[in-house]
Amino acid sequence: MKSMNSINSNHKINAFLIVAIISSNQVGVGVMGFQQQLYQNAKQDAWISVIISFVLAHLAVFIMIKTLEIYETNDIYEINQDIFGKLIGNLLNVLYITYCGSIFFLILKTYIEVINTWVFYNLSPWFLSATLLLLLIYAFTGNLKVIVGVSFFSFVITFIWLFSLIPPLEYAEVQYLLPVFQNNFSDILKGTYSMTFTIVGFEIINIIYPYIKDKKKVNRYAHIGLLGTLLIYFPILLVSLMYFSGEQLSKTIWATLTMLSIVRLPFIERIDIFMICFGVVIILPNLCLYAWAVYRGVNSMIKISLSAFIWSFSALMFILTLFVQTLTQLNDISRIFTHVGFFAVFVFPFFLYFLALIKRKFRKTQVIQ
Amino acid sequence: MFGKQKQNIKNESEDYKGLEIDGIFPPLKKEFFTELKEITNSPADLIIKDVTETITVAYIENLVDGQVLNDQIISVLDKSEPSIPEALPNLLNIPIFKLAGQKKEIIYDLLTGNVLIHIEGYNLVGLANIAAAPTRSLAAPENESQVIGSQVGFNESLATNISLIRRLIRNPNLCNEEYSVGRQTNTPFSVLYIKAIAADENIDIVRERIANLKIEDLIDSAMLAELIEDNSYSVFPQMLLTERPDRFCDGLLNGKIGIIVEGSSMAILCPYSFVEFFHSREEQNLRWQLATFIRLLRFSAVFLSVFLTPMYVASLTFHYEIIPQPLLIPLSESRAIVPFPPIIEALILELIIELLREAGARLPTKVGQTIGIVGGIVIGTAAVQAGITSNILIIIVALCALASFTTPNYMMGNVIRLLRFPIIFLAGFWGYYGIMLAFCLLGIHLLRQSSLGAPYLSPLYPPRILDWGTAVIRLPIGLLKTRATSNGTFNRKVHNEKAKPQRDDVMKE
Repeated sequence: MKSMNSINSNHKINAFLIVAIISSNQVGVGVMGFQQQLYQNAKQDAWISVIISFVLAHLAVFIMIKTLEIYETNDIYEINQDIFGKLIGNLLNVLYITYCGSIFFLILKTYIEVINTWVFYNLSPWFLSATLLLLLIYAFTGNLKVIVGVSFFSFVITFIWLFSLIPPLEYAEVQYLLPVFQNNFSDILKGTYSMTFTIVGFEIINIIYPYIKDKKKVNRYAHIGLLGTLLIYFPILLVSLMYFSGEQLSKTIWATLTMLSIVRLPFIERIDIFMICFGVVIILPNLCLYAWAVYRGVNSMIKISLSAFIWSFSALMFILTLFVQTLTQLNDISRIFTHVGFFAVFVFPFFLYFLALIKRKFRKTQVIQ
Repeated sequence: MFGKQKQNIKNESEDYKGLEIDGIFPPLKKEFFTELKEITNSPADLIIKDVTETITVAYIENLVDGQVLNDQIISVLDKSEPSIPEALPNLLNIPIFKLAGQKKEIIYDLLTGNVLIHIEGYNLVGLANIAAAPTRSLAAPENESQVIGSQVGFNESLATNISLIRRLIRNPNLCNEEYSVGRQTNTPFSVLYIKAIAADENIDIVRERIANLKIEDLIDSAMLAELIEDNSYSVFPQMLLTERPDRFCDGLLNGKIGIIVEGSSMAILCPYSFVEFFHSREEQNLRWQLATFIRLLRFSAVFLSVFLTPMYVASLTFHYEIIPQPLLIPLSESRAIVPFPPIIEALILELIIELLREAGARLPTKVGQTIGIVGGIVIGTAAVQAGITSNILIIIVALCALASFTTPNYMMGNVIRLLRFPIIFLAGFWGYYGIMLAFCLLGIHLLRQSSLGAPYLSPLYPPRILDWGTAVIRLPIGLLKTRATSNGTFNRKVHNEKAKPQRDDVMKE
């Protein structure tokens, strides 16, 4: 099926950049405070939850890529329109756009909250959101190649975060991890479920797939990307489980940042202020890529230019950030979107693949007739 | 009011049509030279000389070689008087000689050093090229000095510069295309490239941009660079201006396209990526470990130079807790006497250093060096003792200034100097968050840039790990297998095989 918005070969990107895209889209604000919820559900077996969560993610990515391979050059919006017909397809697309837009909003607002808590207590949130959105607009109007460049650099810089895990190891107690498998398996699964918001981000492959040059290597690099994220999340979780005692961890909202605050270098006393400001580099590709997803969705329904879209989208997000004031409101919203995200990212792709297979067989039999 | 102004400009553009000279001259001597003088506005250095009754020569005084004029032209014409212009080429022994009839060609050649030979009754004239304009002798390049290596720089004559390059590259594939641009100046310039190595699309882009140029004058090559580069609004240069022939030839051999402009001692090389601005030709002359170390030192110096002063300002204004404990007491002691907040203090010192640098550049050499030392040391010490600044800040600012001198390219060094100021502002108002915003903004800006269509951050993004051997570190020549892809060249194989290092008979008795 020919793509409606056919893509110039100048805008195509190499396949191995998918590693950076997927990994940098997953690592966002979730990495700063995912341990608390996870611990409350799965206790000391939280690391098993993480592994199960990643296995599910690998499966979901596998299915997504198989669906995309059936339609060679289309992204998920066009696939929806093809399978479900224009009306219901567009409705599903609107839902998908809302999903991406709300994840965008959550990331933005959570990061502003982090800065207000840790770095600048009195800095007005609207200033923070305005500057972040201006940065987003500047990156976005450079087209996809700039966005992929931002995600590449963010991917490389994120690994520096791992070095900050070495000092807490001094105070680590391996007994906190034992006894293993004491909890019910259902608790571990609850932990996996609560990690959804942190691990979500690989569904961007749905939107980026048409832009890739050599589509045969997509599978390989997507899975490497997921492994990359696992390499970041798993050590962080292990070290937090060993460093914090149980009660402490269930009461610490931003566990990674608290661990960061004990690190001390000879020429810098507290690097957490430094690293939190580095968080701009970590969340910028998330913001850009989700905004790109919303743009492609809106573009598949109405024709709108890039700059008109990004300015109106940013204005909308700016106004929305003025409404949500406190962390508890944010937590409520994010809890709702854990449910929505789980469905959209882990359940829906299987459904879609099944329907796409049926449609292909149907089309083939029609042709034969 | 505005209507009238617009009309004035419109009339002016109609006047420019007077510069178009078309047609041919009248054949009789008197009318010929009257018209010639009218078109050239009777310059004082236009010499019109009657050799015989029918033959006249005309030339611009200081542009021609007087000796050749006397020996080869005037005496020969005197001895054997030709009666038709077609006999002139066989008679005279001038290598570049042509017959011309069009006004435009005659005037243009007369103004560039040709001698016009007119025979009564014909409007076809002979033009002998014996131009010998005075040029500066070859000297060491001033702005790009090198510890080890050749010390010859380009000078202002196009012919000399091209001869310097042909001495280094003796290759029939070295293509030389000459153009001239500028309505008032008609400046000639040459585009040079090596045919099998430079990418065809780059050459086409350059040719297209030159063909689209409609400008009044072209005085220096920097102006041409600004006219044909991708984004002249950006603070970062996209084409290299160099004074060294060896750097120029290095670029040509890697697939770049070079442009040399008459009257300018700086040659243009394009496309150039951001990382390549920090390369120096000297690194090829040093041992590769040393070259790698110096290059990495340069990258970190540039990074420090841009961000160290803002980090100081941000730490002292907002984030005291970042400063290590042993340093807190001396820092607070030195800050206690200063009446200004850190941002004002930093800006004052930075401005003083910029003033010193600008003043030192304009003064004659003997005075300039003294002012630099006196200004730097005396003003610095006096400022600390007066309590305007703290001495730690002086160390930081001086280090940053020194670090920005490490860039081998003058343009890029200036850019680094300039970048520091907005970042100091951002740091003073919004601490580390401001610095991070500036960092991201710079990064995104660099990602958006392109140089002749190729991405500006080339071997870093899109990541080409094979090119990091030349871009980030310097590999020994034996390990260098390919030319950099950032130049878009397809001819990538480089055959560098070292001679066998050991003699076979060493191991024998």
